[in-house]
This record gives sequence, C-alpha cells and structure tokens, in this order.
Amino acid sequence: MEFFLISTLNGVIYGLLLFMVSAGLTLIFGMMGVLNFAHASFYMLGAYVAYAVSSSAGFWTGLIVAPIFVGIVGTLVERFLLRRVHVFGHAHELLLTFGLALIAEETVKLVFGDFPVNYQMPDALKFAAFTVFGTDYPFYRVFMGIVAVIMFVVLWLLLSRTRVGIVVRAAERLPQMAEALGHNIPVVFTSVFGAGAALAGLAGAVAGAFYPTNPNMALELGVIVFVVVVVGGLGSLQGSLLASLLIGLFSSFAVGIDWSAADFLALVGLGEEARSLGGLLTMQISSISATIPFALMLLVLLVRPAGLMGERG
Amino acid sequence: MARVLLPLALIGAFLLVVPPFLDLGWQNALINILIASLFALAFNLLAGQAGLLSFGHAAYFGVGAFAVLHLMASIEDGLAFPTPLLPLAGAVAGLLAGLVAGFFATMRSGVYFALVTLAIAELFHSLAPHWQGVFGGEAGLSSMRMPWGGIVFGSLIEVYYLTLAWVVLSILLLWGLTRTPFGRLALALRDNEQRVRFLGYNAHISKVIIFAISAMFSGVAGGLQAISNETANYVLFASAVSAQVVLYTFVGGATIFFGPVVGAVIFTLFAYLVSDITHSWLLYQGLIFVLVMLYAPNGLGGMIHQHLRHREHLDWSRLAPPYAVTALGGALVTAAAVFLIETLAVLFSREYEVARRDAGGGFPGYEVFGLDWSPLSPLPWLIPLTLFAAGLWLILRARQPITLLWQQVVAGSVPGDSTP
Repeated sequence: MEFFLISTLNGVIYGLLLFMVSAGLTLIFGMMGVLNFAHASFYMLGAYVAYAVSSSAGFWTGLIVAPIFVGIVGTLVERFLLRRVHVFGHAHELLLTFGLALIAEETVKLVFGDFPVNYQMPDALKFAAFTVFGTDYPFYRVFMGIVAVIMFVVLWLLLSRTRVGIVVRAAERLPQMAEALGHNIPVVFTSVFGAGAALAGLAGAVAGAFYPTNPNMALELGVIVFVVVVVGGLGSLQGSLLASLLIGLFSSFAVGIDWSAADFLALVGLGEEARSLGGLLTMQISSISATIPFALMLLVLLVRPAGLMGERG
Repeated sequence: MARVLLPLALIGAFLLVVPPFLDLGWQNALINILIASLFALAFNLLAGQAGLLSFGHAAYFGVGAFAVLHLMASIEDGLAFPTPLLPLAGAVAGLLAGLVAGFFATMRSGVYFALVTLAIAELFHSLAPHWQGVFGGEAGLSSMRMPWGGIVFGSLIEVYYLTLAWVVLSILLLWGLTRTPFGRLALALRDNEQRVRFLGYNAHISKVIIFAISAMFSGVAGGLQAISNETANYVLFASAVSAQVVLYTFVGGATIFFGPVVGAVIFTLFAYLVSDITHSWLLYQGLIFVLVMLYAPNGLGGMIHQHLRHREHLDWSRLAPPYAVTALGGALVTAAAVFLIETLAVLFSREYEVARRDAGGGFPGYEVFGLDWSPLSPLPWLIPLTLFAAGLWLILRARQPITLLWQQVVAGSVPGDSTP
C-alpha cells in the first residue's frame, strides 16, 4: 500500500512535469507541422538560466527570469532561423531544430561544464508536505505539481475562453482562412513557438532544482517527451496531458516491479520453458522500464498514429 | 565521363599507395573516414534517394557490429570462417534487422516515419545494456581478429586494406543500384509516391526493400568498425551515432550520390585534427550543420555539383572577385567565432575558476592562441566584434553581384534547369 501510494504520487507529479514540456511541443506541431527536436533543449536552458540567476539574485527571481529568457530565445529561433528554412520543407525544419539541439547542448557544456551543476531549491521550500506511512513527503514535489496544474488551467482558459485563444485555434485548423480573415498568422506562429519555449523553460527552472541539472538532461527528457506527444496524439493538448500522466505513473511503478515475461508464461504452465530460453523472457520489468515507453510509442505509431486523443493521421 | 573518372582514379590511387607510409594515427583516421563514408552513403540511399528521413540508423550500424563480434568469437573458438569475409555477418544482420524494422517503419511517412525509426533505435539502446547474452550487457563484447591464409590481421595497415576493399565494393554496389530501374524507383517514391502506386508498383514493398538494403550496408559499416576496434558496446546504439550520420549526409549534400562522402570526410577529418586542439569541436560541428542548413540547403556537395553543372555558362572572370570577397568575409567571421568560443571556453573553465580564487575573486589574465589577454581590457571583446562586423559587411556586399550573375547563368542555360 505504501509503495502504491508513494508511486502514484510521484508518478502523477512526474507526469505533470512531462506535460509542461510536451504541451508546447504538441501545440507547435499541431500548428506548424514542425517536430521541434530542440524543444527539450529549451527545458535544459530554463534550468541553467534559473541556476545562473538564482545563484546571485535568488531562487524566485530565477524562476521568473528563466521562462522569459527562454521564451525570447524561442521567438528569435522561430523568427530568424525556422522561418528561413520553411521554404525548403518540413524535413529541413526538422533538421534545423536538430542542429540547434546539438548547439544548445554544446553551449551549455562550454559555459557550465560537462558535469551536473549544484542547482538547489531554497531552504524555505525544503520541508515535508505531509507524512505517509512514516515517510516525509517533500513539499517541493507538491510544488512542482501545483505549478504544472496552474499552467494547464491558464493555458486551457487562454485557448478556450479568450479571443487570443480563438485566433490560435483558428490558425491551427485553417491557417490560410484565418489569414484571409485578416489575422497575422506568422506573428501567431512566432508567439506560439515562443510561448511553448517559455513553458519548457519554466518546467526546466522548476524541475532542475529537484532533478539533476546536467548537459544530458535535454537528451534524456527529449526522447520521453517524444513518446508522450506521440502516445497522446501529435497536436492534441488533452492527449498529451493524458499520456504524460500515463508515462509518469508507468515510470514510477515500473522501477518497483520485478515480474518478467516468464512469470506471466508460468501462469499458463510455460514458466520453465521460458526460463530455459532466457534473454528477453527473463528480464524483469524494473530493468527494462526504460524500454517499455518506446515499445508503447512504436505500438501507437503503428496501430493508431493519431494517438490516444489526436484527430490527424 | 573522363571528368568524373580522373578524380576518382586519383583518390583511388592515393588510398591504395599512400597509407603504408602514414603513421598509425592517420591510418586509423583513414579507416574511420572510410567507415563513415559507407555509413553515410547507406543512410543516404534511404534519406536522400527515397526521401525517408531516418533518425535511428545507429540501430543497424550497431546490429552489424555485434553480429561481426559474435562471428569473431566463434572463429576464436575454432570455427573455420575466413576472417576477410567477416563483414558478411554484419550485412546479413543489418539486412534482417532492416527487413523487420523497415516493414513497420515504412507503414508511416514523413515525421511519423522519423519517429518510428527513432523509437526502434531507442529500443535497442535501452535493451542492450540489460541483455547479457546478445549484447554483452553494459561492458559489451570483445574479440580478437584471427589470422587467416597467411594474413595475421595484427597490424593496422592490414585492417585498413580490408576496410578499403569492403568499402569500395559496397560503394560500387550502392552506385550500381542507382543505375538500375529499381534505383530510379526510389527517386520516384520520393518525388511522387501516389503516381508510383498508380503505375502499378507496390510502394510499401519497394520501400521495405530500400530500407533493408540501406540497413544492410549500414551493418557492413558497423561490422567494419567492430573488426577495427575488436570491441563494441551498447553506446553504438546511442542517438549520437544516428545524429552523426545525419550530419555527414546533410552537410555533404543528400541530393547527389557522393555528397554524403564529402560530409563524412570533412567531419571525420575535423574530429581527428581538431578534437585534440579544442574541447568545443562538437559545438563547431553543430554550428557548421546549422549554417549549411540555413544557407546551402543542398549541402556542400550540392554547391559543388551546381557549379560543375553550369561550368560552361559560368563567367569566372566576373564571378571570381565577389567569390573572393565572400571567402575573405567568411574567413573573418569564422576567425571571430573561433576567437570568441575559445576565449569563453577558457574563461568558463574550471582552471580559470581556480585562478580566480587564487587571485582573490578578481579577473586574472589568461592565455588563448599563445598570447596573454586580460578579460577586463576591451581588446579580447573588440577583436571578435570587429572581425565579425567586417566579415559580415564583406559577405553582404558580395551577395548581390553573385545573385545577379547566377540569375544570368540560370536564365542562359537549358530551360527547366533552374534549381537553386
């Protein structure tokens, strides 16, 4: 029961964090058809900017400066780089963002070094939110969850209840028609790209203080975020929320489960045969927990490429 | 034809005759160049010719390497198999993996295809460290090259000639493929898949075959690397390996056959020469890639090809001056970037942090390019700024005459030949 409760809590909060990053990615893809390989780099950039600012100006200033800075970087990338290669087609846009991800990683290594930096939450936030089964549950995890929930509510209200949201949704569905009606679609694209980058930057600033902040964090999170947006359905915000929670819960449960395929086969009397074959069949779920999200992603891509909630195929 | 054959013959003669006189470092670098070239060409069969952008080609490279290591281990245990034919194991493994992966991946196209290939490579990357029997766990597999038919395969030069033979043979096969009707079909699939289907071809099966052939030659490349290193571990499946081949191919130029070789040679040489001098060489590599994507979308090979194609219409007496100005501007901008990056690398290094602590928190002087600088003086910041501004000014100045001249060239040549 203790394992179940703690794992659920950790899973939901990790899922919410994944959602903060994947929300921008899926919005950008839905609108521009660009799969942004550099999106997780914005997350990393957010963590490092917050670290750099917080060491002199305090944690909260870092939390505010990081998303703004990353948002500006994102806007510049869209306006001056991505738009330039747009005429060469989607493959080139993909390759460009891919190159930018490489540059981001190397720049971070150049400036901050090829090792984790000591980005910590302030002491004021280092207390237990509550105690379950004799274990103190850190408040900071709850704080990360709250930030993500606030972000989701604001984003959802913005998209569904305001005029800006209507224009953005129109630009996503029928960009040419929206443009014909007098809306400046390139500006909408640039703003959405910048806003998506800022969200990833905020996620980085919040999560970097809890998880390790190192030059590999973009790569590590990047592939998982791809899994999330694919499983949820490229372009679907609700889908990516659902998939984020799914993957988050899965990763937090999988590390504690030591079943293997052989154990399942034993239920139908094939346990011995499976064990004698070895290899994949005797691997415990906990040791292949990194593999299963990719298997899930492959399955979704092959069976239902539109994802759980997506409409496009 | 002679125009193509002569340079190829010269390169061939160089690769045959010169290496025994080079030191071990250069021999090793040449082996890496050959392997990278083959890998990039195999990748480009899929990415450039069939238009299917794979972000997981490390999977087939790695599968080939592990297959060869298993066979090498069997030979060590007494299996009578000729050592020079080892890469065949890589080819078979790559082909089989490519058939299975290709069958699924080519069910999708565009971004979705890229994501499937990415997921397959990540599947290998995350499974291999836990799969002791096949991939040797985290440590990986190691083996030894066994002597065969009087050849010991102990020295690097023997490995070099083995690699050369296999790479040349594979490149000939890949080039031959582009001359067959099936090779033309790959291009047609890229340009208009619907029309291919309408003509009665089975597009899915054709794409699976192209994918499998590409994976097969990637497997040969991986196998050759396994023979040269005598070891492999799960890092071969890392996204960095898939990324490298993408870089080679698109910097070199995906639209022409030998383009990827240009990229592979440049980056492998670059890695060999520059990685000793600076820690930031991956940053330079990324910058080069992004600049090529922005300003030469068909790659460096595409640029060379365009000049060769229009060579009879090019008026070099008028084109040379603006080109020289651009080259000078480019050199200035490069110098500015290198100066700035190297300065920052020193100032952000741990050594400088220690020096600052020793100096009581001030900003002590530092050394870059063998000269002493002070971070507080404007000089180390003004130099790159001036170089950059001057270079940019030169490039912008030369741009208009070049564009004009090219417009005349394109207008004067065969109609329909106006690809930028």
